[in-house]
Amino acid sequence: MRPSPAAIVTSLHARTGKTLLARVLGDYFALSGRPPLVFDTDVTEQTLRAAFPYDTVVVDLAETRDQMTLFDTLARRAPEARVVDVSHHALRKFFKVMFESQFAAEAHVRNVEPIIFYIADRGADAYEEARHLRERFDDCAFVLVDNAFVGKVKDKTRRSAAYQEMQEHDLRMTLPLFDQELADALDDDPALSLGDIVAKPLSRSETGRMPGDLAFDQRAALRAWVMQAFRDIHRLTRTIETRAPALSPVAPVL
Amino acid sequence: MKPVVLMVGADKGGVGKTTVSRTVLDYLKAKNTLVRAFDAEHPRGTLQRFHPDVTEIVDVTTASDQMRMIDTLSTSEIKVSLIDIRAGLLAETLDTLTEVGFFDLVNAGEFNFGLMHVVGSSVASLDEIAEVLPFMKGQHYFIVKNFINDTSFFEWNPAIYKNYFKGNNTAVEVTIPKLNEMAYEQVELAGVPFTDYIANKHANGQPANNSLVLRGYVRTWLRHICDEYDRVGLIERLTDRRAAAA
Repeated sequence: MRPSPAAIVTSLHARTGKTLLARVLGDYFALSGRPPLVFDTDVTEQTLRAAFPYDTVVVDLAETRDQMTLFDTLARRAPEARVVDVSHHALRKFFKVMFESQFAAEAHVRNVEPIIFYIADRGADAYEEARHLRERFDDCAFVLVDNAFVGKVKDKTRRSAAYQEMQEHDLRMTLPLFDQELADALDDDPALSLGDIVAKPLSRSETGRMPGDLAFDQRAALRAWVMQAFRDIHRLTRTIETRAPALSPVAPVL
Repeated sequence: MKPVVLMVGADKGGVGKTTVSRTVLDYLKAKNTLVRAFDAEHPRGTLQRFHPDVTEIVDVTTASDQMRMIDTLSTSEIKVSLIDIRAGLLAETLDTLTEVGFFDLVNAGEFNFGLMHVVGSSVASLDEIAEVLPFMKGQHYFIVKNFINDTSFFEWNPAIYKNYFKGNNTAVEVTIPKLNEMAYEQVELAGVPFTDYIANKHANGQPANNSLVLRGYVRTWLRHICDEYDRVGLIERLTDRRAAAA
């Protein structure tokens, strides 16, 4: 049986496109016949919840009970895919609990494949964090995501050891650039289904909100963008599934 | 190996004495050291509830149970005996052991002896320590500051604290960190050793359905405690009595 993917989307800083990538992943899994369980760790904004209003659980990682809801569900043996949007505020707590609970090892035992999608940005500290997470969770697939929208990497960052080391990383994807107007449209309408953009026929005769209140050219551009992202996600999840599992045996009790 | 008696006691109830005993049993098991335990919470037996395989309930005030513990030290194949003393009976038990000549045997080198004295955070605990100190000359004395049940800081004035230890610098301080309340509560409900809870097992060895997150909290907490026992050389001290006198 194919493992159930548990996509963990994160980045060190705000405004890097985490929630957008989480939306894309959620829609990808839905269209692949594995409607996901979605978790939003941003208790204030709850942006991801707007995209998946019926399937999203908002969790406050400061609360033990919510930590249990999140990790115990993520590691559950069940066919659904899972998507977690780990806000930059929640990053430290999330990975601390993930590490201490030996989540990846237990998830593997239950046929769940955790995949960290880490979005790097322009700063060297973002690559330091990427390297740190990859090393700390070496039993977990790690995808480095370059989001063209966050801008060109700084020269200082390029010279950093962490950046150069991460250039050798093989599991990676790029979120291509799209225009500001389209980005604003996505921001303004978090409920706009990216899956619908791909699944529904693209026709000039469509008007109104079918899907989204977007002009034909915008829908066409967004469709191409989402298709590219879907292809990348498909390639990566397939690669990870077919790899020899990066299993670490469940660690001794002490 | 010389027989070892490790006593865990407190004069005040509710300081987490049995919790400390439970961590010691888990620690010794992890170190492949066989141990038997006597639970003096007669007749209730809290320690026995968690470690029934190795624990007997005893009434330390009766001669027959004293014999069960002391007279079997040399003959038992298990060389380490842990005694979880009932709250409030620590000084009295040390008196009793003195009367029956136990400390004479310890001083003659027949047994090794250690006391883990679990103290509360109030200054009243210093009086409790003062009461116990006369018994502990040349013995292994571990003062256990237990933070598991509360976060309150220890209000001991360092100068007063130092004064209490004048002439006895063999006491070793051990700190037990706080455990997440929900995790603690769930292990209590499960009624199994901490290591079994972490390994997701019921008391009968069958797989349990304990929370991954809570197991993580317990694992990290117990690992810190084991590191602390390593740091103070708990096993080394108890198996080589000379270290205390040195």
